[in-house]
Amino acid sequence: MNRRTVIKNLALVIGGAALLPSCLHDSGKASIALKKINVSADQEKFLADVAETIIPKTDTSGAKDLNLHLFVLKMVDDCFSKKDQTAFMSGLDKLSKEAENRFGKPFGQCSQSQRESLLNELDHKQAEFYKAQQANKNAKKEVPADDMLAFYAITKGETVFGYTNSKYFMTKQIVWELVPGRYNAYFPVKNLKPNIKHG
Amino acid sequence: MANLNVDSAKQRTYDAIVIGSGMSGGWAAKEFTEKGLNTLMLERGRDVKHNINYPTTNMYPWEFEHRGEVPYDIQQANPVISRCYAFREDAMHFFVKDTEHPYIQDKPFDWIRGYQVGGKSLMWARQTQRWSDYDFEGPARDGFAVDWPIRYKDIAPWYSYVEKFAGISGNKDGLDNLPDGEFLPAFPLNSVENYFSKVVSNNYAGRNVISARCAHLSVPQPIHIQQGRVQCQRRVLCQRGCPFGGYFSANSTTIPWALKTGKLTLRPYSVVQEVIYDDKKGKATGVRIMDAQTKQVIEYYAKVIFVNAAAINTNLVLLNSKSQRFPKGLGNDSGVLGKYVAFHNYSARISAEYDGEMEWTTDGRNPAGGGYIPRFRNVKKQETGFLRGYAAGFSAHRGMDTNSSGVGKNLKENLGHPTLSNWKVGSHMMGETIPKETNTLTLDTTKKDDWGVPLLKFNIAYDDNDAKMKQDYFEQMTEMFTKAGFKNIQTNDSKQAPGLDIHEMGGARMGNDAKTSILNKWNQMHACNNVFVTDGACMTSTSTQNPSLTYMALTARAVDYAVSEMKKGNIA
Repeated sequence: MNRRTVIKNLALVIGGAALLPSCLHDSGKASIALKKINVSADQEKFLADVAETIIPKTDTSGAKDLNLHLFVLKMVDDCFSKKDQTAFMSGLDKLSKEAENRFGKPFGQCSQSQRESLLNELDHKQAEFYKAQQANKNAKKEVPADDMLAFYAITKGETVFGYTNSKYFMTKQIVWELVPGRYNAYFPVKNLKPNIKHG
Repeated sequence: MANLNVDSAKQRTYDAIVIGSGMSGGWAAKEFTEKGLNTLMLERGRDVKHNINYPTTNMYPWEFEHRGEVPYDIQQANPVISRCYAFREDAMHFFVKDTEHPYIQDKPFDWIRGYQVGGKSLMWARQTQRWSDYDFEGPARDGFAVDWPIRYKDIAPWYSYVEKFAGISGNKDGLDNLPDGEFLPAFPLNSVENYFSKVVSNNYAGRNVISARCAHLSVPQPIHIQQGRVQCQRRVLCQRGCPFGGYFSANSTTIPWALKTGKLTLRPYSVVQEVIYDDKKGKATGVRIMDAQTKQVIEYYAKVIFVNAAAINTNLVLLNSKSQRFPKGLGNDSGVLGKYVAFHNYSARISAEYDGEMEWTTDGRNPAGGGYIPRFRNVKKQETGFLRGYAAGFSAHRGMDTNSSGVGKNLKENLGHPTLSNWKVGSHMMGETIPKETNTLTLDTTKKDDWGVPLLKFNIAYDDNDAKMKQDYFEQMTEMFTKAGFKNIQTNDSKQAPGLDIHEMGGARMGNDAKTSILNKWNQMHACNNVFVTDGACMTSTSTQNPSLTYMALTARAVDYAVSEMKKGNIA
């Protein structure tokens, strides 16, 4: 995956996550085996809190229930360039410090609205960045140069991608059918069930 | 081979050898074995058994480790194959990695390969149209290649023959530039595809948008049930291998059929180094392979040899088959072997939106992919500044729009409630390129691969004709889209290298004249009558239609001829 795909995932949004925890769980380290990035248990916890802020538990499962933060780590580890991985890790620490500076406590202990206000700020910047890119067709599509924004863009993109591709989402929210057994070329919109993925 | 005794040689002797197990090789094996010949099929890759070796075929999106994405390291290590639309996590095990099988690009060429039993017939896009006399007569009329040694009437019965067995869906459209075939019911066009079809035929004489013809069992016939195949389930996950046999592949159709006769020996992991030509006997006597796993070199013998390694590898095998009689490659008296390679041009696309027909959408998936626009340029007379023309795909669909801005409960709510988008329409060009002497495949004189075969060098490029044709496609399609009231029309020139279309053809072309071609009208070598080539390498010109159906028909026809010649004692 490249930075372009991150943006595509943000813009398009398809589909969740369930990963096997590593058998050799060394406390102080991330709970899944990673090949390239080095993630501590604290960093993992922070990421889980960010993902949970993006997709919170409501009357239905949230990011933590679905292990979306582990999916984000898996994707960053396997599907991103070294440059993007470095920006992700550096941005993760910067955002963690930013929360402490702003609210005087760790991100995970902040209220939902505090956490959301911080991430929505980044979401807004991300949208502006994306808009500018679309306006300038010749520009190379990239994740923002700013590390904190790059971390956010990757985390948001992969959390949403993981959520909308989770078994939970694809069987309970927007049902994805392996075997439709049909092609109706003329289907009245009024008969459309919005929770079935038709095409 | 000093250690081989006579008995061993006898065990390694067959009536026929088929090199390659894909689209055309599968047909050769089926036809030979049905006619009672003991046949050896050599495949360089591993075995892929229908419905057994399709590891991802029933997986849900969430079951893929990376939800479909190809990991970064694999992409970086394999830039060529990573550009192929179907090289995704679900099917990447069926594609050859650049790093495992290198080649030399004097000019960029994206060589897309499938080294396994079934070859690329497992992952193809399944579009199947007949060629017309406009295609077979084209070179003679325009002078851009040598005359085809056959006309439509020569191949028409063979199109019918293979269509009935393979199962081709389509409408009888009654177009002289795209002959009708033996069709199963077509997959219908949707509301906007039909609307565009009407706009086009109302505004232009000789232009049509029809339902794409494709190798899917819309309604299976008894012959298909007998093959063990059932109705296409409209999954549109074909590139993973279809457990229903819903589309035609060598794995689901021709190879099992040939195996049932008891006459087929299928040998995977067999990298063909060369066809053996015996200078004393004056004919080809067999094939030398290296076992890909053991690295053992083995010779197999037969009366007749069909080379179906896929166009480019067929050129490689023939170029590497050198003898006193044929120092420049088997059958290459004319010197044209490896030259006049051509392909299709898929580098142009156009997209737009439409806000009419809003009461309709589609339900399920269309395996045919939508509509097809047969070639309408220079068909009956030369009317443009470029030679030949292009066909095009056309399709319309409505997706779901999702507001994915922000974070938290609202975002979650929005993701679960997408809204139906307006219609998006798109088309891609399938342009005919002109076979040129300068478009060549040659062998490197020093570098060899791990199986003792010289590396192939590509010197293939687009030319001015392709640029003019692309320009015309953009102009004509923009005009047609505008007439249809489509909005936000956007053209896209991918500037991709040749090859990504996966329609490479030529190099061992057919022709009437042995001085300018390698094969005669029966796909038989002019200079070595027990060797036949019926894959893409045989093509004299490329037309604008997808070529696979023509390979199937030419193969069945050539086997029929070869066996009758064997019976007459003309091939011994």
